[in-house]
Amino acid sequence: MTTRARRAGTPGAPREDSAEAAVRAFFDAYRAHDIERMVDLCTDNAGFRYVPFEVWGRQRVLYGEGKVRTVGKVIWTTLLDAFPDLANIVTSLRADTEGNVAAEVGIGGTQAKDFGNVTCVGGHYELPHLFLFSVTGDGLIDDIVAYWDNVGWKKQLGCLEVD
Amino acid sequence: MAEEFFARMQAGDVDGILGMMTPEATALLVPLNRHGPVAADGASYLRELSRAFPDLLVRVRRLFVTRDSTAVAEITIDGTQADAFLAVADQEKHFDLDQAWMLAVTPDDRISAVIAYWDQNQLYRRLGVKRLDKITITAV
Repeated sequence: MTTRARRAGTPGAPREDSAEAAVRAFFDAYRAHDIERMVDLCTDNAGFRYVPFEVWGRQRVLYGEGKVRTVGKVIWTTLLDAFPDLANIVTSLRADTEGNVAAEVGIGGTQAKDFGNVTCVGGHYELPHLFLFSVTGDGLIDDIVAYWDNVGWKKQLGCLEVD
Repeated sequence: MAEEFFARMQAGDVDGILGMMTPEATALLVPLNRHGPVAADGASYLRELSRAFPDLLVRVRRLFVTRDSTAVAEITIDGTQADAFLAVADQEKHFDLDQAWMLAVTPDDRISAVIAYWDQNQLYRRLGVKRLDKITITAV
């Protein structure tokens, strides 16, 4: 952990509570568009995987998979640049005793710039997401995985191409 | 319970899955915007999946149970298309798709709710669909 990393939650709280607190703090930071705080809530080497994120080029496929501090930070920065009013609502939060957390989150925003193959026509989207986190006993996020449906997302933004 | 659910999914044993459910169990298949009784919405999806992909494999990659007795699973399904699926014509393409499922389990070990997330765009890509407004017209 770096000196900048910040834990969320109450020291000594049950593992489920501290893990949920870390995830709530993460989405609070996301709602505030504070990417540095989002990253600081994670371990140095935290894993990142946005499952639906695939960019198919002629020569290769880029996946939204790697580390929070590299791939994750770039995707969040690009997303917030394209959707400057991006917002989220945590609709359910479930944790186990090992630091695993499942969060259902509604995310929405209005497009202001092109994003990948989705040309900007000023569309707005609202989309349910499922995030799965691993949170350490220290209350830092060590892994983030997310699922959503890109068909629903693209259709709301006026894009009808699969790729 | 969750492992049995996915083993029955792989086997196409939809009646067996329904036997694991409470009578009033619900299914929410997020990308399909289907929400209702599992005996209707969930079962029809699983039957179509089984019919379209007779060699279906379901691999559980991650499984944990939260304090409210919800089993959360990341799975990968893969198979070779042998019939139309969700309006996509059969081109005998092989597909693999990562999904996340949440199964709410009652104290007497019955499943009372199922929620599933996946990216339908990935499914279409793997089955050769090019445009979202022309699902039935696939690439050669």
